[in-house]
Amino acid sequence: MTETPHPQVAALFERFRRELRDTRPSDDLDARIARLVAEPGEFSLRRRAPLRRIRYWAAAAGFAGIAIAAGILIGRHLERTSPATRLAQQEPALPADFSLWPADSVALQIPAEYSRGGTLVAVDPHAHSTGKRYWIDVVVSNDGTVRIDRIVPAETTVKKNGVPHGITLQTP
Amino acid sequence: MNKICDDTECMARLATGDTSALRELYQRHGRALLRFSASMCGSRQAAEDLVHDTFVALLRGPHLFDPRQGTAFGYLCGVLRHRISRHFRQQKRWVELPSDEDAGVSHDPAPTDDIARSEVSAVLRRAMLELPLQHREVIALCDLEELPYHTVAAILDCPVGTVRSRLHRARALLTIRLASLEILDIDNEPPLVQLS
Repeated sequence: MTETPHPQVAALFERFRRELRDTRPSDDLDARIARLVAEPGEFSLRRRAPLRRIRYWAAAAGFAGIAIAAGILIGRHLERTSPATRLAQQEPALPADFSLWPADSVALQIPAEYSRGGTLVAVDPHAHSTGKRYWIDVVVSNDGTVRIDRIVPAETTVKKNGVPHGITLQTP
Repeated sequence: MNKICDDTECMARLATGDTSALRELYQRHGRALLRFSASMCGSRQAAEDLVHDTFVALLRGPHLFDPRQGTAFGYLCGVLRHRISRHFRQQKRWVELPSDEDAGVSHDPAPTDDIARSEVSAVLRRAMLELPLQHREVIALCDLEELPYHTVAAILDCPVGTVRSRLHRARALLTIRLASLEILDIDNEPPLVQLS
């Protein structure tokens, strides 16, 4: 990459180099340097290396810390004064026994008969029965869920061991 | 080797507050630094000011020199280089207005001064001043000061390969500029830049 310069340029370099070699500091520069040496008190000679080395890092860390603290304070202030937070604070507290799971339920028995279409449909319990009647046990919980617990034939109520005869559905 | 040891010793003395070490360093390297500064700057006064600033910086922070990272001369050249760079950055903020004396007077194309005493050298110097700073400094250090590449690389704080490529580019730019100033006669010579 660095081949020798053009011969004519090299000759110019050589000539300028010779002239530069004759360059000497002026008396003024010598005097200024001598003054530096003689009066060092004008210039700080203290060892400031450790301070200087940590200064930039300390300043950067300080600014970062202040920025983070300010961010936290502003965030907390905004959170405290937001309408959603105010609304949440105004709402009454939930009862201590509140649970997300169903705590209470009601069981209902619905009479049903097979229709001609082969489906089980609810019927009036006082109406005359035209076919085989079933009781559908429906459980309604206070969490809003409704499930069919079992379907029991109306004629057979209790078996020997006390367990009602019928179709017991598997509940999840 | 002794000189290097002496330089390191001088720097250590300076770090302890012995300012006479500054004089020794100035006597040993002041001229070389002035040559470097003069080949980089437009005026001798600016070159001397920058050398002075370099020694002031050395006086203020001699402990910043680490002998494991290079020689004292390399360190001083590095400080001077930064001062030169700052000097030119500051100069960009100012626009020189023509004085009344200059108005209407045609300038000598290459006025000589006490650095470039011959007209040809003055033209070379002027062409160098038109180069970008990073190209000018490799010409000044490699071609004028004739420092080895690894020393220049240490001063410029870059790999040797970068010094070589910058020098190649700087020489090509300088040759083209000198040819445009009709200082070089390159009509009957191979092209300076080979197009691939």
